[in-house]
Amino acid sequence: MINRIIRQIQRYKGWFGGGAALCIFVGLYIGLLASPPDYYQGELVRIMYVHVPLAHTSTLAYSVLFFGSIWYLWKRDPLVDNMCQASASICALFTSLALITGSIWAKPTWNTWWTWDPRLVSFTVLLLILGGYIMLRRLVDDRVQGGRYAAILAIVGGIDLPIIKFSVEWWRTLHQPMSFSTRGVSISEDILVPLTLMSIGCWLLFAYMVMVRTQILYLTDLLHAKKGRFLSQTHFSQTTP
Amino acid sequence: MTGLYTRWALILGVTLLLAILTYQHYQQHLSTMSMGTLLSSPPVTQPVRIQGMVKSGTLQGDVEHGQATFEFVDGEASLAVEYQGPPLENIRELKTLVLIGRWDSQAQIFRAQDTALINNFGFVAAAYLISVMALGWMVFAMSQRVMVLFKEIKESKLYEPEADSLGHKE
Repeated sequence: MINRIIRQIQRYKGWFGGGAALCIFVGLYIGLLASPPDYYQGELVRIMYVHVPLAHTSTLAYSVLFFGSIWYLWKRDPLVDNMCQASASICALFTSLALITGSIWAKPTWNTWWTWDPRLVSFTVLLLILGGYIMLRRLVDDRVQGGRYAAILAIVGGIDLPIIKFSVEWWRTLHQPMSFSTRGVSISEDILVPLTLMSIGCWLLFAYMVMVRTQILYLTDLLHAKKGRFLSQTHFSQTTP
Repeated sequence: MTGLYTRWALILGVTLLLAILTYQHYQQHLSTMSMGTLLSSPPVTQPVRIQGMVKSGTLQGDVEHGQATFEFVDGEASLAVEYQGPPLENIRELKTLVLIGRWDSQAQIFRAQDTALINNFGFVAAAYLISVMALGWMVFAMSQRVMVLFKEIKESKLYEPEADSLGHKE
């Protein structure tokens, strides 16, 4: 079933890419030019329009990896395995960018590039888990076995997601409490519009990137398989008298 | 491949347009002028932003009601400031701030109407540039890879139906 859904969604890949480009460009325009500066932070608040969507998207990407890994261990579907592999590398990119932009924002506001803040540490742990996942996939020669080990790692690493989410509630932190909760939305409309647009843009971009990366993995597999068959046929015809 | 490059040229064009608009916005509304430039250049009629420090022992007036006079220094250069505007919340001697106002060349006084936060636009630019360039490059490289793979598969004629042992094609 999931295989069919993925194939159906793949057909609309271009719409995801176009939607992402549109949302990001409009979000960038409002975020950089149309929205007002913050009373306390001034122009620096504009970093939020890129940092927060990147961080949200990296947790979304890891959620895709987490649930995809469970599905793969259950059904052993190679397409889902490819999708998980694609999600992991793209999630690593989004997580790295979220950490870098956060560090750039931290310097003028907290006067430090890095601090041992629970959310920063839990986010860095996420990046380390992803690094482990990618390395595991490359180091294990047997693809099926590598996929299985990596899926187990991704599921175990999933414990980091609630830690990232609730770190601002559980521990004393420099980050602000959750802006979206059962208590309501605590963001002004001027900030909410570019933030929402950029977030939707990043989610669509992530979906588009996963589709393209999955396609690359599928085409590479196809090429290797065809080449292997072609070479074995050539070898067979050359060696057979 | 042509379609891919056309699409990316369009994306690059829109990105460059946004960058130019942002730069113009920065020049018009955010960038500060040094006091040396303000004093040496011909009198400017439009409001300018200058950054400096309130000189110790010069702050006078009713700060809480938005009226003050002080010496404003920036390295070697200094000028007299007459502030009339919104109440100044955090002003004190030796405080670094950005003043928005006009230079009165006849009276040799900078008539300030408002203050602004010191902008660190370099940090904002760095965050946006890193993110946009990294994501843009990644998506472009992936799209190009798909095209190359398709081309490679097509050129090596790997899609040709294979003949079975009896010579019948699939």
